[in-house]
Amino acid sequence: MSDALYLIGLVALTSWLAWFGGRRWLGLDKAVRPALWRLLEWVGLAVAFYVFNLLVGVTAVVVLRKLTGSFISLYVNTDATLLLLSSFQALVFQWWRADSE
Amino acid sequence: MPRRPPLRWASVLGVLALALLAVLAYTPVVGAISRRLDTVPEPGRADAIVVLGAGAAPDGVLSNPSLRRFLGGVMLYRRGLAPRLILMGPAYEGSPIEAEVRAAMARDLGIPLAAIVVEGRGLTTRQEAALAAQHLRDGGGHRVLLVTGAQHMHRARRLFERAGLEVVPAPVVEISPASRSPDGRLDLARLILQEALARLFYRVSGYL
Repeated sequence: MSDALYLIGLVALTSWLAWFGGRRWLGLDKAVRPALWRLLEWVGLAVAFYVFNLLVGVTAVVVLRKLTGSFISLYVNTDATLLLLSSFQALVFQWWRADSE
Repeated sequence: MPRRPPLRWASVLGVLALALLAVLAYTPVVGAISRRLDTVPEPGRADAIVVLGAGAAPDGVLSNPSLRRFLGGVMLYRRGLAPRLILMGPAYEGSPIEAEVRAAMARDLGIPLAAIVVEGRGLTTRQEAALAAQHLRDGGGHRVLLVTGAQHMHRARRLFERAGLEVVPAPVVEISPASRSPDGRLDLARLILQEALARLFYRVSGYL
């Protein structure tokens, strides 16, 4: 079995267990579609924040190089943690929007 | 909590992003893209082997790409394809100079001291090209075996040619396109995207 099939199968199984447990013991709604829409929105917002961070980051490096004369690598903007931080920004934005009147 | 409908544009973007993630991580597409973009090695004799920098940690441990490039250069030297080995790589935020770390390893591996050129001043590929051209002018010759990552080769080759050097590409595989793990595929996709952005930046800046 390939890694891909294994991982997808694993997540499908634990998702079903969470859905089953949520309904049986927590009394949650049967429908998960609204939550899936929220997930899609969150992923989209994370991508938007990532692109925004990338554009501002590249501009900042270019400007700082010119202003200070020191070298800052452009590659710092492609660090993997930037995607994680962007996803946090997206989550906060989503919650902020949901809580706003 | 008031219920606002999800932002439509963000949801559409989310669908596209998840679809892209699935294709990149769970199918061999990224490997095929990488193979298509890779430069085919053209082994041949040259006046020098130039090994481009790729990073070192503060304790002097070379990054994986740096080590792979270094070994690629040493193997070409061992095959007798050039009389000189120009090792590049600067100091990164408190790390020792990458080129010097590599030079010490080359000596330990039996490369004669007289054949090693240490060049740790180049911070970008463009600077490395200019410095390599200067070394070649000083030492005589203009044909180099260029050792760098397969994804990086296209941009590096153009820069070295613009610096007046004849380039024989000797790319090294930094992440295998044959990787079947989703993790490895995403690493490769990231490397390809990073290089595409770097190429775009060099084009916009007029360096290519």
